[in-house]
Amino acid sequence: MSKITKSSTAEYFAKNLQQVGFSSPLKAVLTTVKEAVDNSLDACEGAQILPDIELQVLKVGTGSSKNTDLIKIVVEDNGPGIDPDDIAKVFGEYLASSKFGRGQCSRGQQGIGISAATTWAQLTNAKGAFVMSKTPSMRKAVRAQVDVDIKSNTGVMRNKETVDWDKKSGTRVEFTIDGRVQLNGDGGLLTYIEGTVLVNPHLSIRYKLLENDWVSVERVSSESPDVPEATLPHPHTFKLGEFITHSTLFGKVSLGNFLKTGFSRVSDQSIKDFTAKGMPKSLVNTPVTSLKQEDFKKVFQAVQDTELMAPSTKSVLTVGEDSLSKSIQRLGETDFFAVVTRKPTICDFKPVVVEVALARFKNRNLEADEPVQLLRFANRVPLQFDKSGCAITWAIESVNWKSYGLSQPKGSLPIGPYIFAVSITSPFIKFKNASKETIDASEELVEEIRRALMQAGQKLSRHIKKEFREADLERKLAHIEQFGPILVEGLVRLTKSSPARMKKAEEGLKKLLGRDSEHAQAELNEAEARLQTQKIREAKRQGIDLDSDEASADVDDDSAPAPVATKKKGGSKAEAEVAEENRKAVATKKKAAAANAAMTTKKKR
Amino acid sequence: MAKLIRVRELNIDIPKEARLLAEQMLSDLEKSKRPVLEAVKTSLDNSIYDHKVGFLTPGDKMVRTELNVSSVQKLARVVFVLEIMLRNLDIGAVNTKRELYYISKGLIKGDKRMKPLDFEDQNDSDSIIDFIGDMLRVYREELNCFANDRGGQTYSQQLIVTETLPDGDKAVVDLSTLGTTPFQPKNKPQSLKLKVKKKIDFVLIVESEGTANTLQTMGFTRRNNCILLGAQGVPSNGVRGWCKLIQDQLDVPMYFFGDLDAYTLQNIFRTLKAGSAASLIRNADFSAPNVKFLGVLPDDVKRYDLPHYKVKESDPVEARALKKAKDALENDPFFLDKKNKGLADICRWLIKEKIRCEQQSFFSVDPRDPIKTEKLILEKIKRGSYV
Repeated sequence: MSKITKSSTAEYFAKNLQQVGFSSPLKAVLTTVKEAVDNSLDACEGAQILPDIELQVLKVGTGSSKNTDLIKIVVEDNGPGIDPDDIAKVFGEYLASSKFGRGQCSRGQQGIGISAATTWAQLTNAKGAFVMSKTPSMRKAVRAQVDVDIKSNTGVMRNKETVDWDKKSGTRVEFTIDGRVQLNGDGGLLTYIEGTVLVNPHLSIRYKLLENDWVSVERVSSESPDVPEATLPHPHTFKLGEFITHSTLFGKVSLGNFLKTGFSRVSDQSIKDFTAKGMPKSLVNTPVTSLKQEDFKKVFQAVQDTELMAPSTKSVLTVGEDSLSKSIQRLGETDFFAVVTRKPTICDFKPVVVEVALARFKNRNLEADEPVQLLRFANRVPLQFDKSGCAITWAIESVNWKSYGLSQPKGSLPIGPYIFAVSITSPFIKFKNASKETIDASEELVEEIRRALMQAGQKLSRHIKKEFREADLERKLAHIEQFGPILVEGLVRLTKSSPARMKKAEEGLKKLLGRDSEHAQAELNEAEARLQTQKIREAKRQGIDLDSDEASADVDDDSAPAPVATKKKGGSKAEAEVAEENRKAVATKKKAAAANAAMTTKKKR
Repeated sequence: MAKLIRVRELNIDIPKEARLLAEQMLSDLEKSKRPVLEAVKTSLDNSIYDHKVGFLTPGDKMVRTELNVSSVQKLARVVFVLEIMLRNLDIGAVNTKRELYYISKGLIKGDKRMKPLDFEDQNDSDSIIDFIGDMLRVYREELNCFANDRGGQTYSQQLIVTETLPDGDKAVVDLSTLGTTPFQPKNKPQSLKLKVKKKIDFVLIVESEGTANTLQTMGFTRRNNCILLGAQGVPSNGVRGWCKLIQDQLDVPMYFFGDLDAYTLQNIFRTLKAGSAASLIRNADFSAPNVKFLGVLPDDVKRYDLPHYKVKESDPVEARALKKAKDALENDPFFLDKKNKGLADICRWLIKEKIRCEQQSFFSVDPRDPIKTEKLILEKIKRGSYV
């Protein structure tokens, strides 16, 4: 019989780096950038620091493997820094994480990614990560090379030194790896940066990619997201076994107390509801230590059958419609957009929030006959590969976009120059693989995403319908202007009629077609009114969230077009947008009047 | 200029009718009333077939085009093209549809104000021309508009064709003098008179023009007192008119020989024999109801062990053809008529078996005999093996 040996976690991952996002030179670069930036963002949020990140991806030579370049990746942040004793652990040890299983919506979860990046650097360039870090309490920064000791799964620091660094705190990490750089497309670096920018309104980032110039993107929110507290679990997220194990953590407390203190959303009223649903009343004051397995089952079933409040919003982090609306402007000038943040709900026993942003940009070279560009996010991290198996893609394909004015081949993504961004936030996202590229598609989750998309689709359709009506009216007006005189003149020639008859016929035609254009104008007015109602509703809701006085004043004022009531800059921008639309509407109406007049003018000529 | 040969005895004064129509439209406009143009609905659901009549005729359905912002373009185009056609009638000039397309383009592009009328492609102007014909219930040939020549290449040792030219002169063509060069009927076969040197036994219309030419090259018309012609796919107006003329003037048995597939049966043979839904008002003069379907018949496949193959249902073109065949069995009055049960049965057989057999498969029956195809065709005619 062959000998059974035990390998270290590091050995396993060193041999299976493709499982964690290092399956090709292209993905190696993207994954390394992603892991480093995610860590920076998580660290900044943890310390309530507004992140300023600097990213460089440079080609510095030829890679050691076939068909690769030697790529240097530098990520520097202004985060809290890493304690010198932890540096080796963070960058050189697998499954060493401050976030594992804590029930938070952090980007990183397991403590695999950055160690995998160090391993990749080590495997392809014989050197691990170069790290420089400084915490606020340190006078000087620590700089060192970190390698993974693959046999023992421990991080090793080499050439450690202290250096001056004119930063209060922060971390700079540098990898030199074999890889290849792709900027655009689904798996491109720019797509990653844009996605990260979109769902992190509080992020400022400077980046330099290859020989391109430095680019700066400033933050649009000066509020660091409240890092979701590791809140008490919601009872509906548990399975029976977990429920029993959970009770052992609480010692000799009564069942009632265990339920109230061990879970969120369980109150005295809930305990009464549980008994109404079949939990034996006698058990409420019984210590959990003396409960039998059958008792636990009865309690558990009663709890599952009882309606409870949805998990706390605090346990899942949202970007929010307001921030998303502002952030989307950082990707380019939008024609229009729609954002939806759903209320937190439970899918597959886990709290989840779905957010959707649909936008059409003015200058993004998106093709009108290509599928929409899809940006997927899980806990605010862009997902860039294997979209076909993802819950988000499934949900989009299951929506009938034709009813919102978009064309859509059967069972596919809709067509058009739009960006669809869908973000899922949850303390426990079920991924299909360790490289976190695809969200597992459960029925409940797909349905939840679908609902968010449909809400956003309804908003979007009001814009599209208005545009359609506008174009329809334009076309009809153009028809009157262009074909009316030609028709009448042709008939006059055929019948050899007098100029007097021509004049009379032209007047008659003008009347007839005027009636038609009035009808089109009425349809446009109706579409405009619907859009306006939507804007008022949005303004009202955002106003209540932010500044109810200001918003209600705006909404109540019938004489003025309702602006989207956002704070400061956002508000003025929305007002400008509405003003612009009103200007356009007035112009179209004027054109309608002018078209009728044109017939007479033409005749005089 | 001499008067053009007329296609049929027509009791309509086209210029007068057209001017009345224009007058009505103008007077409607003066009263702020929406002018309406009505044309025969040229579609299968408005087609009637009676085997005693022999071709598809129009039902009562009409297409109404009322003036509104959407139809003002079409109406302006109708008036524009009508004007050109009336001018042609007035001076006795003729044009093809394609010529009318380019004439319109030239006039439109030369006048800034006319620019909105511009036709994007010939289909645009063709549909206006067809609409005018359907509206006035006249052939487009009667509006001095002719399609381009296509198909109808004819061979015979017995046939003499006399053409009356526009100036009244006559041109006489003896087909026996042409060797393997075909005679091609012009797109106005009505101006031709037929005479035969010897009694003609039959007329054979072959779907493929190439196969007709091959038969001729191998001496088909030298051994048979016949007329041989190639249809070149779906028969053009010229071919249809030519077959009608042969039928009317010579009164001889006529046979069609083509592929065994749904497309041939529905689109090629039915059009030749009974006309089409698109040309409802012209079918009387552009179909030859006496033509029989000689093959390829399902029986031939078995009897001669003809090479054939399965239709690929995954191929969208084939799938569409099969679907159309099913539709035809349910909706096409031609296939629904009990006199044409034999043809409908072939259609049903094709749908069931999903096979196809080309006319050229006859060449494979005996590869050592160069005139085996001819022998088989003659044998089939003799045996009465046709539908």
